[in-house]
Amino acid sequence: MAANYWESTQRRYWQFTKEELAAMRQKLEDEDPNLVHMYPLPQLRHINIYLNRQFNHLAKRLGVRQQALATAQVYLKRFYTRVEIRRTNPYLLVATSLYLACKMEECPQHIRLIVQEARVLWPETFHGQDTSKLGECEFFLISEMSSQLIVHQPYRTLTQLQGEFNLTPEESQAAWQAINDHYMTDLPLLYPPHIIGLTAILLAITCYNRQNAAGGANAAGNSGGLVMAANALAHAQAQSQARAAAMGGNSGPGTPNLTPQGSFAGGNFSSQGGRELGDGSNPTDPKIAKMQRFTNWLAESNIDIEGMIDCTQEIISFYDCHEQYEDLVVRDNIKRFIKARGLDK
Amino acid sequence: MDGKRQHHSSFQQLEKLGEGTYATVSHAALISVFKGRNRQTGEFVALKEIHLDSEEGTPSTAIREISLMKELKHENIVALHDVIHTENKLMLVFEYMDGDLKKYMDNNGERGMLKPHIVKSFMWQLLQGIHFCHENRVLHRDLKPQNLLINNKLQLKLGDFGLARAFGIPVNTFSNEVVTLWYRAPDVLLGSRTYNTSIDIWSAGCIMAEMFSGRPLFPGTTNEDQTIRIFRIMGTPTERTWPGLSQFPEYKANWQMYATQPLRNILPQIDEKGIDLLQRMLQLRPELRISAAEALNHEWFAEFHQPAHPQQHHPQQPMMHPHRGYQQHTVPSQNVYGNYQG
Repeated sequence: MAANYWESTQRRYWQFTKEELAAMRQKLEDEDPNLVHMYPLPQLRHINIYLNRQFNHLAKRLGVRQQALATAQVYLKRFYTRVEIRRTNPYLLVATSLYLACKMEECPQHIRLIVQEARVLWPETFHGQDTSKLGECEFFLISEMSSQLIVHQPYRTLTQLQGEFNLTPEESQAAWQAINDHYMTDLPLLYPPHIIGLTAILLAITCYNRQNAAGGANAAGNSGGLVMAANALAHAQAQSQARAAAMGGNSGPGTPNLTPQGSFAGGNFSSQGGRELGDGSNPTDPKIAKMQRFTNWLAESNIDIEGMIDCTQEIISFYDCHEQYEDLVVRDNIKRFIKARGLDK
Repeated sequence: MDGKRQHHSSFQQLEKLGEGTYATVSHAALISVFKGRNRQTGEFVALKEIHLDSEEGTPSTAIREISLMKELKHENIVALHDVIHTENKLMLVFEYMDGDLKKYMDNNGERGMLKPHIVKSFMWQLLQGIHFCHENRVLHRDLKPQNLLINNKLQLKLGDFGLARAFGIPVNTFSNEVVTLWYRAPDVLLGSRTYNTSIDIWSAGCIMAEMFSGRPLFPGTTNEDQTIRIFRIMGTPTERTWPGLSQFPEYKANWQMYATQPLRNILPQIDEKGIDLLQRMLQLRPELRISAAEALNHEWFAEFHQPAHPQQHHPQQPMMHPHRGYQQHTVPSQNVYGNYQG
């Protein structure tokens, strides 16, 4: 929603480097090492998957649209960079973030309805909450976020550019799904929305599997596509560097150097597979043409390609770690500290 | 749970400036506005106190206003210095402005009429503020003299963003219950829910006429009366003059047909160039209304155009380059307004 991203509070106050993010989290844990020691939690990405599921359950019951759901998840991420999760009842925070996001995205939900649905959904951990608790928590949430509530989402990039790249409805859907999935990673706190949107488009073009229309952009199952994505980014980067060099007068306006340079650094998906785009595929494949168009566009657009490479890696490693996710483990871990600390009352 | 709660005793409350309500979905939250003084710095501030209601949490209008004001920093938009949470109140600390345009016209106008050079300066500032909002993809939606704040340096600033919204996607879900009737654009009156920046331009046109004449241009009492008053002066539109007109929810086949009145007859106080600008702002069809950027370039403002081009005062930073997608910009220092970050 809203306003100019480049001058937004999101860019100024809520975009961090990985190191900053790690330091903030460490600081929260260091404030009370005992608490952290007594209530161990699984890896953050698994907690995020769990919370994402809770968000989805509640949003489904209330018929909340995706945009508000996305905003709610960003709120919770921001909040947990300031407050240690073990000091909170995450279920109350999920409900409150959704309530606040719905207000912001102009699809308000009645506070009573949210409380009622949350109680049905989480009978063990939410029963002690009421509308005044939710109101108080909302206050707390707004305050911790310094009232900076406008969130720029990658969905806009997708809707603006799906025509530019002739995305098929299935590819758009896959890109949309990849954006939905990125809320389970730290990416919303690390990269601008358009970088994430473009990464989602790239994954959709390269990894979308026609045989698996319902599967979304599950990149983990499609390593050929990943090599292609890696190559595409490397090409774009090389092209863009060549252009920059040409503009700097260092080299003639000749053909850009197409050797992939910045392929996934140390990743599993190095682009050694082939220097040609779409190695191993039929060169008349419309997918290749689409890829070419996307690469050229990237090279000419002064986009942070390094950022896109990193986003691609994050999303892919997230899909990997998703495989080891166990719902019950996270749920029990969260329940332990809620019950022990009386946070459900 | 305990947030960082501050006590508003750091502000000395001086006098009550006004009282009102924030209408919300099912409730009205009481708000009071005080003139205050920062005990540390001695600077005057306007304190807007919002009482919270357990049935609604923090009112949506307040949330919207706060969050937008956090993003919009411009010399023609009233600055939100701080937001203070207390036990059951939310206090917004705004820069202090001496009054609003309504009061200014009452107190300084001749039967409400302002001098042409004052009107021009106010319109310039108003359009600068609107331009900035629109450039940042924000619609004000409720521009009226009471919401335009004036200080004793004759600076004009847009205030009260309680109804403002960012016009992201989707555009088809806007509530049509916005904008005070008198300044409401005809497309909104006709039930359009896909309105855009042009609604603020219509309001600005109405305000310009009012500053010159001392009287509201279209003081309607009901939606229908408001519509007819507009038609009486601007002419009743038809499907021929406004293709798609009959598709509006509030379209009536039996509207009385009025001829278009020349604005110069109704507003003899305005010079020819001013009338031309006004005419372009008060177009019935939203797509024909001049944009804020174009209005600022209008020759009526020629004296403000020297030596710099208006848009160079506030460099535009579009999110997308029209043809080549995203461009990275270097962002100028944000520190002009001081850092009030908590």
